Amino acid sequence: MLFQIQISRMKTSNVIWVGNYSTVVKRDPVLHWSWKSELPLECATHFVRMRSRVDDAKIPEPRFWSNWSSWKEADAQKSLGRDPLFLFPKDKLVEEGSNVTICYMSRNQQDNISCYLEGQQIHGEQLDSNVSAFKLNKVSFIRKTGTNIFCKVDQKDVIKGIVLFVSKVLEEPKDFSCETQDFKTLTCTWDPGTDTSLPKRSSQSYTLFESFSGKKILCEHKNSCNWQVDSDSQEMYNFTLVAENALGNRSVSVLFSLTHRVHPKTPYNLFLKNVSGTKATVTWKVHPIGNYSTLLCQLDLLGEGNVIQQHNVSIKENGEYLLSELEPDTEYMARVRCADANHFWKWSGSISQKFITAEAAPSEALDVWRNVKSVSGRPTVTLFWKPLSKLHANGKILSYNVTVENLDRLSGLEVHSVPATANGTELTLDQDSYQIHVTALNSAGPSPASVIVVSGDPGNEEVEEERVNGTEDGFSVSWKPQSGKAIGYVVEWCDHPQDLPCDLQWKNLSSNTTSTVISSGAFRPGVRYNFRIYEISTERMAYLLEKKAGYLKELAPSDNPQVVVSNLTSHSFTLSWKDYSTDSQPGFIQGYYVYLRSKAEKECHPGFKKATLPDKSACCQHRIDNPEQKTFVMENLQPESVYEFLVTPYTSAGSGPLDAFTKVTTPDEYSHILIRIILPMIVCVLLIMITCYLKSQWMKEKCYPDIPDPYKSNVLSLIKSKENPHLTIMNVSDCVPDAIEVIHKPEGSKIQFLGASKSLTETEFTKPAYLYLLPAEKNYSGPGPCICFENLTYNEAAADSGSCGHFPVTPEALPGQPGPLTSPENLLKALEKNYMNSLGETAAGEASLNYVSQLASQMSGDKDSLPANPPEPVLCSEYKMQMAIPLGLASPPPAENSGLSSTTPLDQSEHYR
Amino acid sequence: MLACLCTVLWHLPAVPALNRTGDPGPGPSIQKTYDLTRYLEHQLRSLAGTYLNYLGPPFNEPDFNPPRLGAETLPRATVNLDVWRSLNDKLRLTQNYEAYSHLLCYLRGLNRQAATAELRRSLAHFCTSLQGLLGSIAGVMAALGYPLPQPLPGTEPTWAPGPAHSDFLQKMDDFWLLKELQTWLWRSAKDFNRLKKKMQTPAAAVTLHLEAHGF
Repeated sequence: MLFQIQISRMKTSNVIWVGNYSTVVKRDPVLHWSWKSELPLECATHFVRMRSRVDDAKIPEPRFWSNWSSWKEADAQKSLGRDPLFLFPKDKLVEEGSNVTICYMSRNQQDNISCYLEGQQIHGEQLDSNVSAFKLNKVSFIRKTGTNIFCKVDQKDVIKGIVLFVSKVLEEPKDFSCETQDFKTLTCTWDPGTDTSLPKRSSQSYTLFESFSGKKILCEHKNSCNWQVDSDSQEMYNFTLVAENALGNRSVSVLFSLTHRVHPKTPYNLFLKNVSGTKATVTWKVHPIGNYSTLLCQLDLLGEGNVIQQHNVSIKENGEYLLSELEPDTEYMARVRCADANHFWKWSGSISQKFITAEAAPSEALDVWRNVKSVSGRPTVTLFWKPLSKLHANGKILSYNVTVENLDRLSGLEVHSVPATANGTELTLDQDSYQIHVTALNSAGPSPASVIVVSGDPGNEEVEEERVNGTEDGFSVSWKPQSGKAIGYVVEWCDHPQDLPCDLQWKNLSSNTTSTVISSGAFRPGVRYNFRIYEISTERMAYLLEKKAGYLKELAPSDNPQVVVSNLTSHSFTLSWKDYSTDSQPGFIQGYYVYLRSKAEKECHPGFKKATLPDKSACCQHRIDNPEQKTFVMENLQPESVYEFLVTPYTSAGSGPLDAFTKVTTPDEYSHILIRIILPMIVCVLLIMITCYLKSQWMKEKCYPDIPDPYKSNVLSLIKSKENPHLTIMNVSDCVPDAIEVIHKPEGSKIQFLGASKSLTETEFTKPAYLYLLPAEKNYSGPGPCICFENLTYNEAAADSGSCGHFPVTPEALPGQPGPLTSPENLLKALEKNYMNSLGETAAGEASLNYVSQLASQMSGDKDSLPANPPEPVLCSEYKMQMAIPLGLASPPPAENSGLSSTTPLDQSEHYR
Repeated sequence: MLACLCTVLWHLPAVPALNRTGDPGPGPSIQKTYDLTRYLEHQLRSLAGTYLNYLGPPFNEPDFNPPRLGAETLPRATVNLDVWRSLNDKLRLTQNYEAYSHLLCYLRGLNRQAATAELRRSLAHFCTSLQGLLGSIAGVMAALGYPLPQPLPGTEPTWAPGPAHSDFLQKMDDFWLLKELQTWLWRSAKDFNRLKKKMQTPAAAVTLHLEAHGF
């Protein structure tokens, strides 16, 4: 039968749904059919009616519809209470993404009702005067306690609410698969996906159904289920997993053969036996799978985390495999896993075991290099070697053996043992050649020997250094072979040339190599690296071939040289920086810039050009292209001007810092004259003064002796020049006095020797007293020709003009004397005048002293000064009083008198006798 | 601060009361109960915030004040001021004891229904503290010689909503339970403060008062 059903809402004429329902009708049937309304039935009266028609192919057409039944009313509102407000549906559970219609019904049409969804007011469609509906499309999950919707009557304490529980969508189980480890239990696993559980609502459940056996089990877990294999009879399995919750279900199926789903258990008892340096035996066990199953086991050998070897072994229960080609003293890991050999499904879990192979003798000779230097005249060889790699050491190096053999003389081998921690040693040798063997020792034995020959003669070290350019990859070094018999080459350099030790490095190269790239992580820009290329001869001796120097990248100099200013004149000065080392700079010094600036001069000197400094100031620049020229003369400068200069080196990367200018002020033009003339004069004067001071006694003897030496007086020559050839100096020895006679004693001529308080001017001194020393001849009758000598060094009184035809003439007195000095009166006057002048210059009260000087005979004296016509022997000698005025002395010291005259010192009484 | 208060509470029994007669009397117990009330008040503030967020809007909105629909069985804390003042000590303490007995029972039901483990832990912790407050009130009553109220048979409060009890109404009940609990804690603080002052005046006993600041 086919039933056509109509459903109306609110009133019968408002048909909202028409549908057919077909079913087989039996006798006295009670048919059930249901319909779900989007709008909760409580909010509106619904009506339903139906009609039927035969729907059987056996009954021929035409088939007619029956009449419509009467409308049946479904009114849920009648069962509601008297509450003023209702909200439907109550606590509905829907799946996320569904559409939900909510309605409220109010008893009082005048009530103003507002509704809220999660606190936000919502506005619905009014279905009736007191019914409104809200349609929520694609509701989303907010929280497990549901989405709150409530309505309230304004101005009244009436509130009604519902909770809409939104469940996550139930997902189809993913990765559903089943497997067995022992043919007794099948374990099925899957990924359940999102949990759809809600509070007070049951979560999703999982059911496992096997179609061949028709068995069904409820799984205890959400992601796995165990199925017991009854017997060996069932080979094929068709499982269906059904996930179900309150809103629906999802299912997934899998069909498989049991023997194709074998997942063996993890092997056990993995051991290493007979572990040598290169071999080891691995044994393990597996859990048996049935009586006929064979397992394929995979044995991995891992070193440092990487699989080195992989072997497949088919076993039943016990596995064994001999691992070979192992490295001595190396840690390995053996790892085993197994799978069904017939139908591979999955590898079992892995079991692993670490082991270390035994040590073996080092397999490779050390890489040895040497450095020969002379210490205290003896060649000292420093040997360096690179530690053997783990691959070649084959164990822990215990020590190094260094054997030294003299090649020039027959002598015993010298063996040195060097600790394993050292990477070199130092040997002091002589000028002979030595062959040095170096071996590394571990517990299993020594390494092959590394042989090197050194000689005390360092060879040709004078090799011109060339430049080499550095790149990002390092230094590309090339050389020219020299002898053609080289067995190899060595390039030597220091990683840290500025340090001590400089971390010597070397690189061995084969004999057919003439270039290489030297790279090191230690290379830094701005550091000069020196490379030395050695040729290794067939005798294993190293000869220096070439020297190279270069920078990985040249930098601008960071410092400027210390410049010394010299030869400063008013127009020039010289700059010199000879201490500046060009080798230790961050680049090859190509030259220098000399900067000069002056406020006085706006134009640059010849050879200079204008330049702008970083601070935008202008200056003059001169470039010196020769890095070895370390002096520069600044010329054409203005006197008394301030100049600022700066000398900075430059490399290919730029010049040094342009910051610290040095000020120089040129002197005026005459200062150098002053320096050249006055300074020497001052020096000379000082020298004279010092000499005078040091030779004061000598000067006194020469210039102003206490008792003048007549031979040294120039008066004699003066007198001679006045054509008095008869005048001469009388020698004392020639004139032997035998009597003293006072021939004249003028009045008032008493010389007051003791009158210190009385000046000489107060003394009557107009006619000085003379003592005459008379000769023994009786016939002496009067004053004859006699020699008169005076010491002109002293101020002296004039001699008696009447008693002496000769009188002393001072050089100073001669030019200024108006009258002829040949007249005794004039002379006396002149002398008196001079004397009085002298007295006037003498302090009053000073003591005066009269000396009596013995006149020498004309025949005696200096033979050199003899006159051409010897004078006749004199008949008498005349003593002439001389006065000396010693400053500051009351009386002359007696010793002076006694030493100066052959006469006996006489006291006053004797004088006046 | 919480740790500080816990430490204070832990050491409260060890604090010797400076009583001239040697009998500390009910004063320290009342003080302890008062402090515990204040502590629970602070603890509930945090718990209520978490739980109302768990319920969702509008229950976590500050101005939400629904009618007390299904929560009629909850003991009311609000009372007329004159009536409250006229309460004697025994009645005052008895009402507190009965109220917290009921509220604790309801709170345990709330704990059983909580969906998240964290919320269950917080509720369990609060229940333990509330149990401590109940014991403290019982101690005060015993010190004052008042008997504990006996629950009438068959009136054991349960928290099992009937089938007609919708989820929304259940949330309303949870809301009111927390709100009533808060009000009771406020009232209890006043009750025990009043009792404390009352006990201090006639007893002339010197008790060491430990103040816990910050709540």
